[in-house]
Amino acid sequence: MLSSTILGYITFAYFASFILYLLMMVMGRDFLGRLATYVTFAGLTIQTFAIILRWVESYRLGIGHAPLSNLYESLIFFAWTIIFLYMIIELRTKTRTLGAFVTPLAFLALAYASFSPGMETHIQPLIPALKSNWLIAHVITCFFGYAAFGLSLALSIMYLIKRLENDQSKSIFLKLIPRPGILDELNYQMVIIGFLMLALGIITGAVWAHSAWGSYWTWDPKETWSLITWLVYASVIHSRMVRGWKGKKISILCIIGFCCVLFTYFGVNYLAGLHSYAK
Amino acid sequence: MPKSSTEKSQNLIWGLFSSVRLTIVLLIILAITSILGTIIPQQDDAISLAKQLNPGLFRLFQSLDLFDMYHSIWFRLLIGFLALNLVICSIDRFPNALRRFRAVPKPDRSKPFEHLPSEQAFLTEASLKEASATVARFLRSRYKNLHHKETQETSYFLGEKGRFSHFGVYLVHLSVLIILIGALLGSFFGFEAYVNILEGERIDAVALRKGGGPLKLGFEVACDKFTVDFYENGAPREYRSELRFFIEGKEAEKADLLVNHPFQFKGITFYQSSYGTVPGNKVSLRIAGPGLGPKGETMGVEADKPYDLPGGEGQFSVRDIRGDIMDLGPAILISVQPSDGKETHFWVFQNWEIVKKRLPPPMAKSTKFNPSAFKPYTFFLDGVKTKYYTGLQVNKDPGVPMVWLGCFAMVLGFLMTFFMSHRKTWVQVSEKRDEIKISVAGTANKDQVGLKRHLERLTNDLRNRLDERGK
Ligand code: HEM
Repeated sequence: MLSSTILGYITFAYFASFILYLLMMVMGRDFLGRLATYVTFAGLTIQTFAIILRWVESYRLGIGHAPLSNLYESLIFFAWTIIFLYMIIELRTKTRTLGAFVTPLAFLALAYASFSPGMETHIQPLIPALKSNWLIAHVITCFFGYAAFGLSLALSIMYLIKRLENDQSKSIFLKLIPRPGILDELNYQMVIIGFLMLALGIITGAVWAHSAWGSYWTWDPKETWSLITWLVYASVIHSRMVRGWKGKKISILCIIGFCCVLFTYFGVNYLAGLHSYAK
Repeated sequence: MPKSSTEKSQNLIWGLFSSVRLTIVLLIILAITSILGTIIPQQDDAISLAKQLNPGLFRLFQSLDLFDMYHSIWFRLLIGFLALNLVICSIDRFPNALRRFRAVPKPDRSKPFEHLPSEQAFLTEASLKEASATVARFLRSRYKNLHHKETQETSYFLGEKGRFSHFGVYLVHLSVLIILIGALLGSFFGFEAYVNILEGERIDAVALRKGGGPLKLGFEVACDKFTVDFYENGAPREYRSELRFFIEGKEAEKADLLVNHPFQFKGITFYQSSYGTVPGNKVSLRIAGPGLGPKGETMGVEADKPYDLPGGEGQFSVRDIRGDIMDLGPAILISVQPSDGKETHFWVFQNWEIVKKRLPPPMAKSTKFNPSAFKPYTFFLDGVKTKYYTGLQVNKDPGVPMVWLGCFAMVLGFLMTFFMSHRKTWVQVSEKRDEIKISVAGTANKDQVGLKRHLERLTNDLRNRLDERGK
């Protein structure tokens, strides 16, 4: 499939942007940062086309459906949403340092999709239960949520690294990371976007489950883990808005939150359940 | 004094449940305990684990309801505490939000104008009266809610937006309660059941998932036809049951049921959930014997109908059709009634050549299993026509609309809480030393960056408007 070949190459593009962002931060050279932005943007554009191409290919095979139906396609979309959100933030905040912490996530997702043995990269026909527009809405909202939480993870790690800086430190790397206050604020915005998207994801998932299986909530492990993730981020929001927690505590909670996201996404496959990704 | 002590304990409880610290603790406890239920297999799946546990541990798990923890009392109690916490916190704090919502705005406050950035003020050549009128006209087009005050040398304006955002949080919290109430309604007044309907048959009762006998529906459901259709690679493409609904024997409605397209009848929802096959009442039979050719004669035979034997020696019929007997595959019971003589019965297996070797020798020799038991014929079973049955999930859940309403309210509340802010914008038109100065200031309960952008844009718009005046 042409689309999977292209997507394989984009893995390297995002790896290149990661190296460029990193070099920019180590050497403090502006032009490396600009180059990194161009490479990332090119990667995103081509990836967008590859995803559309995959969609077209599925129609040519006579089993047309949105490319969001198995683990492979979801990883591709996950990488796409991360880079997409990151590009928006880079444009709006005009800081590139976040790139060095975010691009590895997209790179790893794509590398896992394209190069892990046993990954089903072919376009498969949809079984009846998966034929639902609610399911498409479910996947899109969930993955935007996951991507926002991924950015929140990157910002939390940056925050903790930035704290290592003191008056004596001469590291360009540390100096280039934005002020803790900015990181904290941006992190909080990501948590809110992620929380809203995850809520929408859980709701659309419930609507789908209700029409496919007859009940909107069955305490299936994947459902339960997404609820756990949601509860963790709900406590992040409450600790911050009501109890005024900031900075380090919030960063640590966000890192725990992202571990829950990862478990919801991958770990659950080792438990039994309805969600058939990766089975 | 007893009264004060109850008051004190009331205050203690009130104090506990009105604390957001408790909320955070409960949210975390719920998250952690929920993990348990995803690791320990629940309900029907629990049996395999239960067999491996030692008796002591098993009893511990059992007494803590860990094999069905999401329906256990302690888990429901946790959710109940959370709900109580939510209600009490809201009662505790709502008056504050109401006060902020109702606060009578003063157009002539000067505090917002302290440390005013220079981008938010400009001078104009218009007269005070003219400038005030222009500003008033402009602001009125922007704000439904414009407060105005006039003094000798200054016009004060105050525009407000997003007052309702103070209630966003309460809407979110209310939505959590609505969803919980919806779930409770479902668990008290709803049921989950299933039923298998053979093609061509009618049912009037379903089996409850949690056991406890059949449940009468109060109407009948017939499945006229079931079809399953496959992709080239063998994966299923579509399941379809053609159903008809009858009330007191009269047809009331017709519907095709597909996965993801449930059908509701009289408050009860039907879902396509599984299917299977059972032997039908038709078989394809072959009879070999003298004068019937090398392969014998093939015929379609219906159960319990008499057919003439090829040579006219009498009649035979198929008495029983089984999809599978003793794991040996399909078989039928044939009864031969010769015109003179005794009736004989024997089973004919579809895979006789294989079955013959697998039967214990005394049975293999018995006439009961011998397809040539009636001389001079040998019967062969070529195939049993199977019939589909459709497996339906049958649910009633009167809480569902409530749950969807709660979800909708939650999203709306989110948007109000996080993406709306209560912005107050003050504009002063003042005359000082023969100059008319226009200044713009504002406050917001969140999103200060957005507020600043808004104020600068408003200042610009006002300047443009005043420049254009009279043109
Ligand atoms: C799941 C159960 C929940 C409980 C028990 C709970 C409880 C509370 C409590 C007790 C407060 C403090 C009272 C107040 O300021 O009015 C609060 C505040 C808040 N809650 Fe929740 N909450 C829950 C869910 C949520 C959800 C899902 C959201 C998502 C938007 C949310 C957002 C907020 C916000 C933004 C505040 C801060 C209000 C402020 O700053 O005034 N809560 N919550």
